[in-house]
Amino acid sequence: MSAKIPPKCPPPADHPLLEKLKAALGDAILNHGVTPEGHLCLMVPPGKVREVATKLKELGFDHVLSLSAVDYMAEGKFLVTYVYASYLNPDLKNQLLHVRAEIPRNDPKIASIADIYPSADYDERECHEMFGIWFEGNPHMGKRFLLDPDCCIDEKTGKPLYPLRKDFKVPDWGLMG
Amino acid sequence: MSQALREFLLKKAKLEKLFKWGVRWSLWPVHLVTSCCGVEVAHTSGPGFDAERWGVLPFHTMRQSNVILVEGTITKKMAKVLKMVYEQMPEPKYVIAMGACAVRGGLFWNSYHVVQVDTVVPVDVYIAGCPPTPEAVIRAFIMLHNKIKGQPGPYVEPTKVDLTPYLPPPPKPQPKPMAQQAG
Repeated sequence: MSAKIPPKCPPPADHPLLEKLKAALGDAILNHGVTPEGHLCLMVPPGKVREVATKLKELGFDHVLSLSAVDYMAEGKFLVTYVYASYLNPDLKNQLLHVRAEIPRNDPKIASIADIYPSADYDERECHEMFGIWFEGNPHMGKRFLLDPDCCIDEKTGKPLYPLRKDFKVPDWGLMG
Repeated sequence: MSQALREFLLKKAKLEKLFKWGVRWSLWPVHLVTSCCGVEVAHTSGPGFDAERWGVLPFHTMRQSNVILVEGTITKKMAKVLKMVYEQMPEPKYVIAMGACAVRGGLFWNSYHVVQVDTVVPVDVYIAGCPPTPEAVIRAFIMLHNKIKGQPGPYVEPTKVDLTPYLPPPPKPQPKPMAQQAG
């Protein structure tokens, strides 16, 4: 593989939130960095996602802005990214906090945070449909939410296919459709 | 008496022509707004373009209308709704596919979740553009008029313009390098 794999966490730099978060989260932070936009980015172990979410809620982050995944097929990993933000806390105004966790691609399971942050529920269900990641604890896992029930199903095995994975084959419509 | 009247209406009086005339000037489209083309249809029915001059009255329910305007991308989930809407409409019914997405997928070409409209319902008129202008929508309705009348084809013939005096002269053919090497 000669293709350069992009780093999963940007290079570290000083950030006003960092000391406060290090005191609160302790050893849950594996690695940290600052994105070019100036947002703090933390790598956490996948087993501590719920613990981190609970502590961030106490710190004043009141909603999950986005939850998505990146498929690193060559490494056999998914990178699940949570973006936390706050409406009400004036100290956290204009701050986005990226929390990232790596999970194996052949057994993609991670704990759900939908009961701590209800705004993450729809994102988890979409992420489950598009990438096949199982969010343990979310009651809607295994059901179709956005996709058509007859779409993206393997004809031989009858199992669902996940359209945003790198190994998904898009239909070939040809040149003139 | 009624039998004689029926015979008269069907054979002597040209009822078919009257029927087509009536249909032609009351094309009531039901909107299937799935994308931004719906904004252009709003302009079409507005006071600026006023498509009601051609009898195009935007309508909300499919059971009282006879044209379905597909305005945008049709996903596989929405294709079932489109089929259901189409089957609820009374005869005669017509379909207009509006915009690049409805015609051939457009921006969402080769997508896992997008279908082309003519694979779901039979389409009478296509409107190209992304999004098409209100003039193009009105032109599509006039093409539908002509189709009902029995003269399908574009209403406006494109004017041919000779641009050769304004264009640079065509480049002279260069001798092939292979031939030079051989010589």
